[in-house]
Amino acid sequence: MRTNLFKLTAAAGVLALALTACGSDDGGGETDGALAGEGTGDDCVIDGEVAVGAALSLTGAAASYGESQKNGLELAAEDLNEKEGVTYTLTIEDDQTDPRQAISVFEGFVDDGTSIIIGPTLSNTAFQAQPIAQEGSVPVLAISNTAAGITEQGDYIFRNSLTEAQVIPQTVAKAIETYDLQSVIVMYSNDDAFTESGYEVMASSLEESDVTVADTLTFSKSDTDFRALLTEAKNANPDAIFVSGLIEAAIPLVTQARELGIEVPIIGGNGFNNPQLMADAGEAAEGVVVGAAWNSASDNAENTAFLADYEEKFGSQPDQFAAQAYAALHIIDAAVRSGCSAERDAIKEGLGGISDMPTVLGSISINADRDAEHDAVVQVVEGGSFTVLP
Amino acid sequence: MFTESTFVFIALTAIFAYSFYAVLVAGQLSLGQAGFASLAAFTAASLAPDPGDVGDLPALLIAIVIGMAVGAAAALILGLPTMRLRGVFLAIATLAFAEAVRILIINMEWTGGAQGMSVPKILEPWMAWVVLALVAYWFWRQGPTRYGRALEAIREDELAARAMGIDVGNHRLSAFIAAGAIAGLYGVLWAFYVRLIAPEDFGFAQAIDGLVTAVVGGSTAFVGPLLGSVFLTMVPEVQRAIGIEAGWIRPFLASLLLLLVILFLPGGLASLLPRRAARLVTGSADERAEVESRLSQRVHPTDGQTVVKLQGLGKDYGGVHANRDIDLHITGGEIIGLIGPNGAGKTTLVNMISGMTKPTSGTAEVLGLDPGGVAVHKVAAAGVSRTFQHSKLFARLSALENVMVGGHLVSKPTFLRRMLWLPSARRDERRLAVHAAHCLNRVGLADKEGVKASALSYGDQRRLEIARALASDPSLLILDEPAAGMNHVEADALSDLIGSLAQDGLTILLIEHNVGMVMKTCSRIVVLNFGEVIATGTPEEIANNPAVVEAYLGSSESEDAS
Amino acid sequence: MQQLLNGLFTGSIYALFAIGFTLVFGVLDRLNLAHPAVFAVSAFVGIELVEVAGLSIWLTLPIVFVVGSLLGVIIERVAFRPLKDRPDAHFAGLISSIALAGMFIALLQWRYGPNTRRFPVDSFPSTTFTVFGAHVTLLQVAILVISVLLMVGLSLLVARSRLGRGMRAIAENPTAARVLGINVDRVTMTTFAISSALGAVAGALFAMNVNSAQLGMGTAIELKGLAVIIVGGMGSLPGALVGGLLLGLAEVFAVQYVGSSWRDMVAFGLLFLILLVRPQGLFGARKVREV
Repeated sequence: MRTNLFKLTAAAGVLALALTACGSDDGGGETDGALAGEGTGDDCVIDGEVAVGAALSLTGAAASYGESQKNGLELAAEDLNEKEGVTYTLTIEDDQTDPRQAISVFEGFVDDGTSIIIGPTLSNTAFQAQPIAQEGSVPVLAISNTAAGITEQGDYIFRNSLTEAQVIPQTVAKAIETYDLQSVIVMYSNDDAFTESGYEVMASSLEESDVTVADTLTFSKSDTDFRALLTEAKNANPDAIFVSGLIEAAIPLVTQARELGIEVPIIGGNGFNNPQLMADAGEAAEGVVVGAAWNSASDNAENTAFLADYEEKFGSQPDQFAAQAYAALHIIDAAVRSGCSAERDAIKEGLGGISDMPTVLGSISINADRDAEHDAVVQVVEGGSFTVLP
Repeated sequence: MFTESTFVFIALTAIFAYSFYAVLVAGQLSLGQAGFASLAAFTAASLAPDPGDVGDLPALLIAIVIGMAVGAAAALILGLPTMRLRGVFLAIATLAFAEAVRILIINMEWTGGAQGMSVPKILEPWMAWVVLALVAYWFWRQGPTRYGRALEAIREDELAARAMGIDVGNHRLSAFIAAGAIAGLYGVLWAFYVRLIAPEDFGFAQAIDGLVTAVVGGSTAFVGPLLGSVFLTMVPEVQRAIGIEAGWIRPFLASLLLLLVILFLPGGLASLLPRRAARLVTGSADERAEVESRLSQRVHPTDGQTVVKLQGLGKDYGGVHANRDIDLHITGGEIIGLIGPNGAGKTTLVNMISGMTKPTSGTAEVLGLDPGGVAVHKVAAAGVSRTFQHSKLFARLSALENVMVGGHLVSKPTFLRRMLWLPSARRDERRLAVHAAHCLNRVGLADKEGVKASALSYGDQRRLEIARALASDPSLLILDEPAAGMNHVEADALSDLIGSLAQDGLTILLIEHNVGMVMKTCSRIVVLNFGEVIATGTPEEIANNPAVVEAYLGSSESEDAS
Repeated sequence: MQQLLNGLFTGSIYALFAIGFTLVFGVLDRLNLAHPAVFAVSAFVGIELVEVAGLSIWLTLPIVFVVGSLLGVIIERVAFRPLKDRPDAHFAGLISSIALAGMFIALLQWRYGPNTRRFPVDSFPSTTFTVFGAHVTLLQVAILVISVLLMVGLSLLVARSRLGRGMRAIAENPTAARVLGINVDRVTMTTFAISSALGAVAGALFAMNVNSAQLGMGTAIELKGLAVIIVGGMGSLPGALVGGLLLGLAEVFAVQYVGSSWRDMVAFGLLFLILLVRPQGLFGARKVREV
């Protein structure tokens, strides 16, 4: 007991020492001029290494998205660093799905001279952490925040993820047209910002059409047993079920629906755009419609290469989170090279000028509101993979 | 790593942990604080004036007032029905409340649902630390006061606390309301720092975090929550700083550290710091006399005046009669011995007299009260004090502190005055300390004042119980087997003490197996067998009573010999 | 009818989960907050056994049972036994079990990553029956049967066996039990092992039933489990069964008649009501306070 106490005290002492040591050396701030280079575009040469920081949820409730994003970023960083001229050092930090950590990580990035910050994973956290970058005049590229108002936080906040309003109305319209829908059920998890905002857009799109919403059912993001809700849905005899949920909900929801004999189309949003849906729900996923920002089946050159490289490096297929993360670093590269400078303000300028850039997400532009514009896609699961809904 | 937010979050986490500490000191486990914080944060954020109109600080202060009021009110409403629950039951009931609040806020329009509500950021690090300092000050001042000791006593042994005249229900409720107010305070500070509040910021995980912070830091010392917060806030920062790869390894190490602290530091991180226990203050002879005349003002019933009057009293446990038809009349200044074989119903009888057990038949009058009809602490306030057959000391308090709790009824509340640093509070505390020292001295424990009750020898624990009971200046002192475990010399000293207490005008009811001692000490003896009184009389009469000899003395000579 | 069955099946899993919780609480008066982690670990381990080792589900369940009991032993040895003589054992046990749960989940993420996993599609025959117009899978029936069998077995064990007598004696008074010659440490350890084994089977069955296993699955059911043991009566085995079924049914009918947004309120409303009206729970005995 005594020795244990002693050890602990000693450990605490070491910890305290480490704290003071680390505390003293973070002067941070803007780094030297090596971030401004010469040449333009592909010829641009920057001597210094370009520090890119990413605050992602690698542990905690949102860990599975953060993991995909991390993979996407790492893959992109490898690609980009093979190219001559500009070298990126990518620092991926974990926000533990906790706003306190996200804020702290953002402050760290602002202080240590990071050129641009990517993230955080969740929209609510984005509202809590991104203003810190705005105040510190550090550009942020949001890669998975779909809620309204993200880029309104300030002129340093950009995003390459389409908002719900850019994806869902199109999905709803397409689904109504294809399946000739009259009466539908809407289900969403009401304790998650992402899915709730998705639901809001979904509900208003449906309201504008002449489709009747027979019932709206809510669940919790941690739920996995949807039988009671689905039985309710089934009793209303809908033509389709619209779902705003995350992949964790999608897989059990889809399997249980089919098991209960619900054969009508199930229509989901960005959260469903994940190859795991087919891998895990198997047969049950057939016919599920997914409106999303990334067309995984797209045969453009960037996407084909991405799919192959990802599969090779990680042994699994990428999801939308990985694709958007991957695209983000390429967009940042384009922004850096456009002014051949990795100074924070230069990147900000560069991001504002992105226009018709080919990426895995398709041809992307950043508009005056600093939001991305590119084509969304409505896919359907057929034969175990996503195909574009004709 | 020492970014602005680290400082702020140390303060905020500590404040939240104090809201757990507020009830943990009273031995209550509540997980409802996240719910209080949530209600307070959302209400204050929507009701407080715009900082643009009134300025940052005034807006924050108004929000704090609203938040603390909401938190306290919520705690009061939740506390009224749930305060009778104990331990895990209370924890789960309060947790259920917090979850209900979360679901409510998700489903409400004005809170913004899951997407939350945006709030201006006006909290500066210094404000967070000023608030933390005030909260810490609160609990620092609360510790060594009548109120603080009463809470600790409740934590250690609720029933004994009642017997010392502490109104447990009220104390528990006020601790709970304090927790509500502080949780509300935390909610407001959080809201005005993080820019966006969402229901998930106040979920089960956050409640658990708060509890962990308070317990890891130490729930018996006021610096505990602060230490816990520094520890838990710095763990991820340090991990980041020393370059531990982001991912599973970090939560793994954090949990491991937490486990090690809990296993190897009983009492939390605060136990690494030396703790200053209350000191023995004997004072001068003049001061002692002055204190005793001030604190011992009870007018004891004199010879012939009724102290206890029982008529046909009985207690029936589902068909088993613990006591039946007891008639007993005790008058001022008597020393009554209550003897009888094991299971004769002696303890049940004194439990009924001290109000801890309700009789099922008959009537009782003790110092003008019906002990079965009022709360235990009121019986104590009327002048009944007792010891317990199985020691019920406040185990983690020092001997002196135990006796000071015993003096609850004769001392004045000092908490609010100590907060304001009034000299009169210090004077009152000193008086109580002198009084307690006097009581310890009377039972011969003056040199053990700083020893934890649990560390005392068995005989010393028995004596400490007597000192604690004496401290309330009782008119009727009930001693339940005080000489158990004492040798003959010690028992003789005890017998002398009892005699001198009777000289002071106390009436004494003594349960004892040491029949020799009872014969020597008591003026009258009551013999119980199978729950009934079989004989009453002077020691000589009892000794010669054939029924007693038959029922008791004859059959248990061995006990007499011990 | 479909809803009734839905409620029954969900309820039986709540019950199986809660019964482990309540067993430890009933015997040892301790709340083991690592129980939800066992629930999650066993689901992932079960999936690995079926997927990688290619074992049949009927072989996997007993292995999961054993794995669970091993975890129970670890929990008892690491998080509870070192604390047993401390005055704050109650609070400290909560924290140490939370810490241990955190370590389990972190290790789980290390081994399997943060993604959702599931049992392979064909690991259980996907036979479906139609009973009075309601769809029932063979799996659901199996879950109900296994739950009931395990609970009956456990009740018999507690009521009849020597071990059960030991448990009851410790529940009554640990010191007296020791005096009576009962090996308190061993009975305590066995209690934890059985409790965790049941939690483990519940985890694997749950993952199969909903076709999903997540790192956070234990936390999601934890609150429900707490509600169940309070409603049923702390430490009461039949109480946990009835409480679980009751909660399952109440939730289903809340969806049907009150609205799905308020479904989770039902669990907590029920819990609150029980605590106020009958704090000892439906089947719990009121403990007589000793002086």
